[in-house]
Amino acid sequence: MKRKISIIFMFLIATGLLFTGCASDSGDKQSSGSGEAVDVDIFQFKVEFRDQFEELIELYMEENDHVNLTVQTVGGGSDYAASLKAQMSSGDEPVIFNIGGPTELDEYRDYLADLSDTEAASLALEGTLNGIEDGGEVLGLPFAQEGYGLIYNKEVFDQVGIDPKSLTTFDALEAAFAEIDANKEELGLDAVVAFPAMELWVMGNHLANHYIAPEFNSDIMTTFGAETINFEYGDQMKRMLDLQSQYSVQPVLSLDYSMQVEQLFSTGKVAVIQQGNWIYPTVEQMDQEFAENGIGMIAMPFEGEFEDHLPVGVPQYWAVNKNKSDQEIQAAKDFLDWMYTSDQGKEFVLDEFKFIPAYDGYDADRIADPLSQDVYQYSLDEKTIGWTFMATPIGWNEDVLASEFQKYLVDEATWEEVLQTSKESWESARQ
Amino acid sequence: MNNKNLSFWLFLLPALFALVVVVFFPFLYGFYYTFTDWNGLRATTFLGLDNYFAIFSDQRFIDSLVFTIKFAITSIVIVNVLGLGLAVLVTQKIKISNGLRTIFFMPNLIGGLILGFIWQFIFISGFDAVGKLFDLSFLQGWLSNAETGFWGLVILNVWQYAGYIMIIYISYLQGVPQELLEAAEIDGASAFQRFWRIKFPLVAPAFTVSLFLTLSNAFKLYDQNLALTNGGPYGSTEMLAMEIYNTAFSRYDMAYAQSKAVIFFILVAVVALTQVYVNKKREVEL
Repeated sequence: MKRKISIIFMFLIATGLLFTGCASDSGDKQSSGSGEAVDVDIFQFKVEFRDQFEELIELYMEENDHVNLTVQTVGGGSDYAASLKAQMSSGDEPVIFNIGGPTELDEYRDYLADLSDTEAASLALEGTLNGIEDGGEVLGLPFAQEGYGLIYNKEVFDQVGIDPKSLTTFDALEAAFAEIDANKEELGLDAVVAFPAMELWVMGNHLANHYIAPEFNSDIMTTFGAETINFEYGDQMKRMLDLQSQYSVQPVLSLDYSMQVEQLFSTGKVAVIQQGNWIYPTVEQMDQEFAENGIGMIAMPFEGEFEDHLPVGVPQYWAVNKNKSDQEIQAAKDFLDWMYTSDQGKEFVLDEFKFIPAYDGYDADRIADPLSQDVYQYSLDEKTIGWTFMATPIGWNEDVLASEFQKYLVDEATWEEVLQTSKESWESARQ
Repeated sequence: MNNKNLSFWLFLLPALFALVVVVFFPFLYGFYYTFTDWNGLRATTFLGLDNYFAIFSDQRFIDSLVFTIKFAITSIVIVNVLGLGLAVLVTQKIKISNGLRTIFFMPNLIGGLILGFIWQFIFISGFDAVGKLFDLSFLQGWLSNAETGFWGLVILNVWQYAGYIMIIYISYLQGVPQELLEAAEIDGASAFQRFWRIKFPLVAPAFTVSLFLTLSNAFKLYDQNLALTNGGPYGSTEMLAMEIYNTAFSRYDMAYAQSKAVIFFILVAVVALTQVYVNKKREVEL
């Protein structure tokens, strides 16, 4: 008898333990739903500004007691997409999350609340909502604008007496590279360029886009609907690839982003890198003086209608989850509005996040860093092309095109094969 | 008796429940998804076996399968030879053998991702520096082509697992009866003969365990692969697990990836079971 009781007792403990997890979890949810405070979970991808973003959130919560914001940051690229999908299908859906252009818009269409009634949406700059609107609804608010091109070391160019702004054609750029290369010992350089061919996105997204966007008239939606790609400017793409890899620190295929930006460029061991304004905080951490006064950005060369145009785009949008309660959706919208349109928010966007604002009503002179100023200048001059890699078939840029580029760089494939394979893959994806 | 049966099931129930909920049910659900066009959020059409047919003409999948098999064979051989060698070394009566055991086992305590990044640094920067210093061209440009990518992964895997496999061999080596060895020594057997004729046959059961562990580990390798090469250059070092992950999470082809995972599961199960069966049979004969 005694034994029987002890057995039953043990069993109760065992099952009890098993269910404690579930029980406490559901208890939490109930108390938050019925209470006065609104919980808004933010699931965002931008690791670079996590600390500053969390500061901003603290600030917002101090002013708005009834809102409780929590942020979860998951590193860039495909990792974020995977985690977001896992969160969505697990049922633990965030209220605010990020999506990146038409492909994801299509996929998450059922989750996206209409944001056209927000103040931020009405202030969004011309073109920044291109690719995120559907049926008159605005389904995402742009993070910021970003641009990329060739970032150069001013001092090196001063010493060889070349004005970087004049390098708008291939011939000019090639001559400049040759000149620097010939003097690299005196200039203290390892090589002219650091070309991180290990990073698929640097080649497949950025480099390629410069010569793909013009084919689709630089329009995101045209690219999204295109059934084939003809590589009209493929020769120029090849020339840029050859030029960068030829003058780079070798071997290019084992160079990655952090070596390119931190080890080589920030320390002055290379003169030029193909990157975007987002490297500024990294360079600043390495060498503040150099970051503030020693660098600038020019567009990659392009011969044709879009000469000296800089690819500027909206990397990600803020989306609000439609399946949440009205209260939560409203709180999310209020927060996003506050971030981009209130004075305090604007200050953060410019000074702390160091964003290039995608909204009207910002003081352009206060854009913090030289790279962003260069991007903004191109933007003001209306010399920009779109980021069409947001609208190519899923995975095409990195898995297919950049992967083929790598083969080409180690002579495993000819340039014709690169284009042929990529074209076929595009067509089969768009069937 | 009846009472005992009841308590048996009562004790089993929590574990059984957990197993069904987190293993069996998701497994069956996943299996069902392979017949649809599930994209991770919803499934709209029933495709039958289309996903499975597509796999056999998927060059990328086949390439990564071949690469994985190549990798598995190479690293299984090296890990086991080295593991046994280390085990024999540290079971000798030398003073530092305890210290050596700890050192050899240590790599296994470091997480795969961190190891991957450490070795990436060694291969790319470390090898390069040494190569420049002594003018050895084969040490330069590691991980930048398919060949060095492959060997990089093998070296990393061997370095991590040899110590772990060593522990298994040690336990079997210590189980070898001392009197047999002494008798052999008196009969005039050399150190090599004692190893080859006595120790080696007696540690045979350890091969079952070790081969099984190294095989399934080599097939399922993911984090080291991700951190060291991330499948590059040009997808040439993409192993099966990573190929499946990429299909699912960078190309968003969830149902298709799930079908690949089912094939992967069958493959690993068949290989592992066959191997256990063969080894068990051999042990009995001994």
